[in-house]
Amino acid sequence: MVKIFQHTFKYEYNWDSVTLAFWLRYPNPFASHVESVDVIDRYVDPNTGVLRTTRLILKRGVLPKWGRGTQTMITLTKNITHARLMQVEEWQTFRVDPNNREFTQVKTEARVISNFGWGLTDRVEGFGIKKFADSATKSRKGMSHVLEMIREKQLLRGRGFLTT
Amino acid sequence: MSQSIGRSCDELKKEYDTCFNKWYSEKFLKGDLRPECEEIFKQYRDCVLNAVKNKKIDKLLGEARKDDPFSSVTENK
Repeated sequence: MVKIFQHTFKYEYNWDSVTLAFWLRYPNPFASHVESVDVIDRYVDPNTGVLRTTRLILKRGVLPKWGRGTQTMITLTKNITHARLMQVEEWQTFRVDPNNREFTQVKTEARVISNFGWGLTDRVEGFGIKKFADSATKSRKGMSHVLEMIREKQLLRGRGFLTT
Repeated sequence: MSQSIGRSCDELKKEYDTCFNKWYSEKFLKGDLRPECEEIFKQYRDCVLNAVKNKKIDKLLGEARKDDPFSSVTENK
């Protein structure tokens, strides 16, 4: 059994900023449950010029996740513990908004698969989808917070207040 | 900046993240794909993999990394 959640969202920031924010997104005030973020693999594929990254994210209470990204920024995040009870796979695609190059479109698709059995599968999946929708809202708030910080820093730098 | 899974790796992580963020925004996004930060990444990564082992999640991580979910995505391009 599989349940699917789909969502499209627009950040009013350009693609460069949004993808940088994806790397910088933790810590932020909307993600106090995130304990650690580590890059365990990262390289530019010499044939395609695609940047590939594997990250390990430790979350309190919930589940560790990992994500990888390529160009146009496609990311996959999935839990590696409790995967038999419930496997959540979140795919995200970050693209330049076709109507405004200064904005970024994000398409999210999540698949929740449970093998719990005893007639509980459906309820576990329903719970997974609801939980996912809630945390997706939180995660957007966190990204927006980081993006605002990046914008401020760029403005300051543009005015010559920052030298770094 | 976020913390590392291994508290003893925090300093290395900070140094690596700073290096990567600078490279990503100033080089990679502008089309310069030549790798940088490799020496510090090696040190940081070794520290993290060690911590992963100590926390006994190395097997889980190995399992999760077996499939290559992006191969089809990249081939389609």
